This record gives sequence, C-alpha cells and structure tokens, in this order.
Amino acid sequence: MVMTLSLKSIKSQFPIFMHRPELVYLDNAATSQKPQSVIQTITDFYEKENANIHRGLYELSGNATRRYEETRKKIADLIGATDPKTIAFTKGTTESINIIVHSFLKKNLHKGDNVVITAMEHHANLIPWQQVCKQTGATLSVIPVNTNGELMVEKFNELLNRNTKMVAVTHISNVLGAINPIEEIVSIAHKKNIPVLIDAAQSAGHHSIDVKKWNVDFIAFSAHKMFGPMGTGVLYCKEKYAKQIDPFNFGGGSIKNVEFEQTEFLDYPYSQEAGTANIPGVIGLGTAIDFINQLDSNEVVRHTKNLTDIFKDKLKSIGKIQIIGDAKNFGSIVSFNVENIHPHDVAGFLGNENIAVRAGHHCTQPLLESMGISATVRASFSIYNTMNDVDKTIEALIALKKFWS
Amino acid sequence: MKKLYTQVIKTHNEKPFHFTRIENASYIVKAYNPICGDRFEIFMDIDSKEINEIYFHGFGCAISKASTSILAQSLDGKTLEEAISICNNFLNFIDRKLESDEFLLQEEFLAFSGVHDFPERYDCATLSWKEVKSCIESIESK
Repeated sequence: MVMTLSLKSIKSQFPIFMHRPELVYLDNAATSQKPQSVIQTITDFYEKENANIHRGLYELSGNATRRYEETRKKIADLIGATDPKTIAFTKGTTESINIIVHSFLKKNLHKGDNVVITAMEHHANLIPWQQVCKQTGATLSVIPVNTNGELMVEKFNELLNRNTKMVAVTHISNVLGAINPIEEIVSIAHKKNIPVLIDAAQSAGHHSIDVKKWNVDFIAFSAHKMFGPMGTGVLYCKEKYAKQIDPFNFGGGSIKNVEFEQTEFLDYPYSQEAGTANIPGVIGLGTAIDFINQLDSNEVVRHTKNLTDIFKDKLKSIGKIQIIGDAKNFGSIVSFNVENIHPHDVAGFLGNENIAVRAGHHCTQPLLESMGISATVRASFSIYNTMNDVDKTIEALIALKKFWS
Repeated sequence: MKKLYTQVIKTHNEKPFHFTRIENASYIVKAYNPICGDRFEIFMDIDSKEINEIYFHGFGCAISKASTSILAQSLDGKTLEEAISICNNFLNFIDRKLESDEFLLQEEFLAFSGVHDFPERYDCATLSWKEVKSCIESIESK
C-alpha cells in the first residue's frame, strides 16, 4: 500500500517554493516544478552512483542499468502498457514525434498521400508532419476547431481516405485547455487502418492515460512537464508497429552486430537509444512517477480543475477580459487577453509581482491566427497551486488595469 | 513598473506616430519576433538616399510599439547617413554604450532607460531598430 500525499501540504515537497516563498507559479504548461525527491535522485546519481549503463561488469553500472530499466516498467504501468519494451526513452516529446515521422512514416509516405492533424496542435506536433509532407509531396489535412475551442470531430471522418497514412492529435491543447476525445478519434481512424499518434505532453502524469482503453498506436510525452527532469522524453509504440520503426540515430548501444559493410540493429526500443542516454534524467523520471503514484489522481484533477474554474469566474468578474476557448471538457489551462493591453505587458506586469505566466503564441501560431488573435496570456495550474495564487493573480490584474487606465 | 512604462512609452503606445499601412512603399521592413509574436512592418519611401516618408503597422507589446513609433518619428525626413547614426545612438543607449547625459541622445530615447532593469524586454525595445538599420545599411552600401 503506497502512502497517499495530501495536496494540502504538497507545496512543501517543492524546494523552489522554500527558496522563493513569494512565487506564484502559473506556467505549468511550459514546465512543472520538481519535487525534492526528483532533485535528490539526480544529485545522488552524480554523487554516489554515476556509471554508464549496459555491459559494465561492475556493481555501479549494474545498478544504473537496473534503475534505468525500472523506469521503463514504471512508465509502462503508468500508461497501462503490458510490455515495458513498448517504451523508448527520447530527449522529449518533440524527438518522440520526429522518430515516428522520420523512422516510421516517411518511407511509406508518397505523393498523393495525406497526414491528418488538428488545428490546435503545438508546433512540435505540426512542423514535423508539415515538413515530411513537403519532402514527399503528401498533403497535410487539418481538423478544424469551433468557436468554443473544441475539436470538430464531426469533420474528422470526412478528412480520412485510403491515402491517409497517419493521424496525429494532442490529448490536451496547450493553449485552449480543451481535452480531445481520444478513444473516439482512434476508433474512427482504426476503421480505416490508419495509425494514430497522441501528443500527451500536457496530460501525462496529470490525467489518466490508458493505452489499452485508447487502443492508440503511438504516444509522445516529456518528463519535465510531469515533475521530472528536462531533456528526457518517452515514446510509446504499440507492439504491432515496433518492428517497422528504423533507428532514428545511428551509433553505439543500438546494435546486435557491426561489420564494416553492414550493421544489424537491436529491436525497439533499444534501436532508438543509440549513444549514452540522459541516464539521471530517466532515473529521475522514475522518481517523478513514484511521486505521482503517491498522489490521489482524482484529487489532482479535482483540485486543478477547481482552481481553473474559480480563476475563470473571477477573470470574468474583472471585466474587459476575453477568455480564449470555452470547451466543455477542459484541463487546467486558461488563455486570456486584457482589452487594449498587449499580453506581454500583462505578463511583464504580473512577473513584476512574482506571478509567472506565459505570453505569446505558445507555439500555436496557426491556431491563434485562425482565431484572429496574435498572442494570449496563459495561466496553467498544477497540484501545488492554491486559492491564494488565484487571488493574488486576480488582484494583480485589477492593479494592472488601474495602472494602464 | 512606472520606470519601465514611462509616460512617453504609454503615449506612443496609445497614439503611435504614422501608424498606417501604406501602399507602394519602396521598402518594407519586417520586424518579427518569433518567440513572442511581435510583428511590425515598417514602410519606407526612400529616394536619393533620403527617407521621404516612414510609416509602420502591426502588433506587439507597448514597449515594442512605442519603440517603433519613436523610430519612425526619429527617421522621418532624414538622410540614410543620418538615419544610421540615429539607429546607432538608440541601440548604443540600450546596450549601455552611451550614457544618458550624452548630447547625441534624443530626449525620447531616455524613456527606454527602464529596459536596463528589465533585460527580458531588450528585444521589445530593439527589434525594429535593428531590422531598419540593417535595411538602410544595405541600401546605403549599394
């Protein structure tokens, strides 16, 4: 039985708030803060356990290998995958997506084919597909978003045809906060035998991911948005496709046998892990999952959704503030604009009050342009945020309006 | 905040100088910042090594909009040589290579001294100036 951590005292687990007690951190969609246990794991690795993995016939190397592989199992358990060998470690969500683009899709993508994405993708789940389509003469089709910021799933089926080679969709929009109906999307695509990749950067560790229930083919996410270290990511690949993924990087650690004329590669996931990996990053991700497993997942969603709901209501009560997107099913992300004040000036003012939000196009330039907006202010909530954070932000926004009046 | 958002910046943000898109400008300079999404276009009508008219349009934060407005106001009617010199003065002031009591500085440039304390706003203040300077230098060298 794992002990459950209460969210009431969870802030004390994050050293940054001890060093910066005034910090109101509402930029969780960009990266989460790290708990003491994750930081300690990385420090301990370099101080006491540093060794490279695989083939070191000494205790330190054996331990490093074991802990590296344990994280693979922890990830598999977290997302409901039966076999840890469906999990490859990467540099992050972006690299995970690029692996599927270049090492899986590209060889089967030809002129006349198409790839389907959505209008609410982060550039990381847009540009790689756009570029491979340009290189091969294929077409990129885009599922539109309605005025509430919800995916128009009813248009999805119309975009699929016998030439569709891949569907790539985000689980949760990093700007609008909308949660997409993944099971429905996968089911529609699979009726035409089209593989589906889900960008779970905004949801992993915070919302339930179940690869069996979703029946999805590929999932990409990053450690640093789920309380883990930066520079480490995950690619889940369904067994069905594992043998069709070529090595993304060529080099040591990914091979069975090398001759001057040719190389025989290991199977997935090791085929994707050439070169020395970010080993403390992976082990630190393992500790982040231990941390997540100590939380009550229902409480996490309830807490962050409650703060988001209240923040939205209070924003509306200030007046002359436009909330971008009004999806029925949304995560803990709120994008908004203050009338006649540029998002950067809003974010700069809040920053001066120790409130960290993000301003800009959030790597979703085409989405915002289609909505007639150049940039937004984005606040995103996590487990350590409190009602006090909401109140301080609202007070600062009222002061901002006064300053500019 | 008051040090950053001076009255000069606020005024130029609200009532920018020559804030109009003009057709048939001989040169259009794009000042885009892909990180923050600032996008200005500066329209220059240049003839015989002189900027006859300069207008701008687009969107960005108050610092970038005011900075571009003051750029347009400062370069309007100037020769290319004078314009390069004014651009250098402004950029050198932001880079702290010119002191605020330097006689070369226009009074309105001093309104941006708050940027020295907010280094994350450096690009907002300098983006349009750098792009316009680069464009004028390439015309001048032809």
